[in-house]
Amino acid sequence: MIQTELVQKILATPLRYGADFAELYVERWQRRGMRTINKEVKEATSGIELGAGLRLFYGTDVVYAYTNDLEPESLLELAETLAKLKGQGEVDAGGAGGLDFRKESYIGLHAPAKPLEQKDKRFRLERLYEIDEGARVSDQISQVEASYLEWEQDVLVANSEGVWAEDRRVRSRMMGLAIASNDTDTQTGSNNLGLSVGLELFDLKDPKEVGRYAGEQALTNLRAKRAPAGTMPVVIGNAFGGVIFHEALGHLLETTSVAKKASVLSDKLNEEVASTTVTYVDDGTTPHGWGSSEYDDEGMKTERTVLIDKGVLKSYMVDKMGGMKTGYQPTGSGRRQNYTYAPTSRMRNTFIEPGDTPQEALFEGIEYGLYAKDMGGGQVMPGTGEYNFGVKEGYIIRNGKIEEPVRGAMLVGKGPDTITKIAAVSSDLATSAGMCGSLSGSIPTEVGQPHLLVSEIVVGGEA
Amino acid sequence: MTFAEARKYLLEQAKSAGLDAEILATESRTLSLESFEHKLAQITQATQGGIGVRVVKGGKTGYASTEERSKEALGWVLKEAAENAELQSDTGGFLPAGQALGHKDLISEGLSAPIEEKAEAAHELEGGLRQDERTDQVPLTRYTESESEVSLSSTQGAEGGYRNGYAFLLSSLIMRQGESLKQVYDFNFEKEFHALEPGKTALKMIDKTSRMLGAKPLKTGRYRVYFEPSAFTQLMGLFVFMLSGKTVLEGKSRFADKLGQRVASELFTLTDDPLLPDGKGNRPFDSEGTPAQTLQLIENGVLKSFFHNSATAKALGQDNTGHASRSYKSTLGIGPSNLFVNRVRVSHWKKALLSPT
Repeated sequence: MIQTELVQKILATPLRYGADFAELYVERWQRRGMRTINKEVKEATSGIELGAGLRLFYGTDVVYAYTNDLEPESLLELAETLAKLKGQGEVDAGGAGGLDFRKESYIGLHAPAKPLEQKDKRFRLERLYEIDEGARVSDQISQVEASYLEWEQDVLVANSEGVWAEDRRVRSRMMGLAIASNDTDTQTGSNNLGLSVGLELFDLKDPKEVGRYAGEQALTNLRAKRAPAGTMPVVIGNAFGGVIFHEALGHLLETTSVAKKASVLSDKLNEEVASTTVTYVDDGTTPHGWGSSEYDDEGMKTERTVLIDKGVLKSYMVDKMGGMKTGYQPTGSGRRQNYTYAPTSRMRNTFIEPGDTPQEALFEGIEYGLYAKDMGGGQVMPGTGEYNFGVKEGYIIRNGKIEEPVRGAMLVGKGPDTITKIAAVSSDLATSAGMCGSLSGSIPTEVGQPHLLVSEIVVGGEA
Repeated sequence: MTFAEARKYLLEQAKSAGLDAEILATESRTLSLESFEHKLAQITQATQGGIGVRVVKGGKTGYASTEERSKEALGWVLKEAAENAELQSDTGGFLPAGQALGHKDLISEGLSAPIEEKAEAAHELEGGLRQDERTDQVPLTRYTESESEVSLSSTQGAEGGYRNGYAFLLSSLIMRQGESLKQVYDFNFEKEFHALEPGKTALKMIDKTSRMLGAKPLKTGRYRVYFEPSAFTQLMGLFVFMLSGKTVLEGKSRFADKLGQRVASELFTLTDDPLLPDGKGNRPFDSEGTPAQTLQLIENGVLKSFFHNSATAKALGQDNTGHASRSYKSTLGIGPSNLFVNRVRVSHWKKALLSPT
């Protein structure tokens, strides 16, 4: 992607001006996407993104620049301009010109079994038609939107400590959105599958199944009554149910906020912060996981990080700068959307580990409660852990049984409180793909959990 | 190849391939300064640009984009755009007739100031937030400025561009009182650096955060609700998208068949004006080169118009309102410029407020 000698020169320049550390990140993306409504192509797009980011440390101060002008002269000029922005003048004419890199490259842990170039665009379009067909489970399905995206990202990270890591990330994702209507109402349902795979995505799950799930959910919501309001026990569904803990717990464990004491979970290592039923893991190595990669965006090999072990806080998610500020060892968690962002500590594939309670047993003994089978979007304040999330598919639990569907329910609470109230965790761990937005942009992450019971959550619904 | 050369090259290649093409290019410069504990913790400076292509062949429309300006990349873009067009079943696509659009400068010297002054604005905001004894942490305080050059050319004769920009201060404040902990994000967004008010922004954020301290859960029920302007803009997001011609065309708008009908309170008039004297979302023309114009969407509660680009206007048989919006990476969409709820005379407002719910 870029010559070694040029990288050496670029990294040497800031060191000459007094930087403690210099890192170059270069990437090239090739993306394609398409979206249909009722089998008509509404959008089909392709794009190339190409750029470089240069990051310098002066103690714990950071200077970052990015550009998509990758001409050698332009990059060298950028390095010099940036170095002078913060530097105190030339300090050592020798610099790191002879820097020896420990060159490492991906070995294809998440490489596609069916490369993207194996089939043409028409093949992908036909899979979207299948999502559409699968979603039409009733005459009440009035519209189906199906979409697909794929990207190939080639990354190089090199730094003044000799790191040289090349990674290749291939991801693909299909989504189905169904709209159900009757004379008085319109409701939606959705489903998706996103993985670090190629065209085998369509073999791993039948597109018709993605559509069918969305269609059934839309129908359920169409017949659902308004959710009740009150404080009650809630069983949260597996897979995307994990979004609550991603937002209201995971983000609180990133050193980006921990280092600034801007998280209620700062300085709590080895303290009991959750119910003993909870083991919370962030794993960048999950084979073909949507949030997996062989190296993070700082050139460190990714790893499996146990954040909370049986209720006790064991680790934060640590990027390089977060490690410098807190003294914790980096965990391969430095991530960024693309070259326009400096990396920060971020989640990869984050989930609550399976417990040993059978799923049916979670509902036993609940006189009146809510089953949040699938979750929607929400908001969280990372400094306080306060959250509110919409329930995408919900049911009333009455005398231990799942009964009528309800819609419009909101779960309201504080993440750190909610994890202390997890009473039981079942064994049916499942994960789901999402895009997580934070300081270093929007990145692919998996959320996940088994079905679990929270003894009480405030449910917002109809008065 | 420069952006101007790349645009010219793409137009020539498109013409020789028998394609109608529109080339949208954006080049931008960004500076961001982050203050933490009164130090400049992070400086980011950047230049970025890209080219987006829309082609039409046989009434079918396709898109592709690139940030790489090699001949190979530009060739790939045209090939992909043409392939993407082939997938379309709609054969009613077209590029609007173009015109010379000139070149406008909407920010002039608005961002001219030494970097030290800009860093000081971020420090002043952070310092202001830390002055209150209830402040627990100020995890983020950032000054950001960006200027961009937008250029548009098409095989139908559109040719022009404009330079635009903005500056803003963004911060996050966490306040504590006893066990109560509250966090707020807020920003101060202006067209010019010197219009930013870090001190006033700090006071506003302290007021906004501190009044939530000790808040108790509200009993579920039906209430009369007073919206501060900034809170109401969030609520507006829930229904403004239904005023988009694209949403109407895709069958997702509840307003679809309500033109000329009452859809809101008679106190509610909603306007989009891309030509406001001090508008922050001003633009001389939209992403297809349609000159900007003022648009009344809802007048005294009656739905008067949807937002349209050339495609949605033609498909629905309505007037193009000049609201085409796209970045070089995206497909043609719709976007407002300066969207606001018109003021209402106080006597009307009081009458509405005092009437039974």
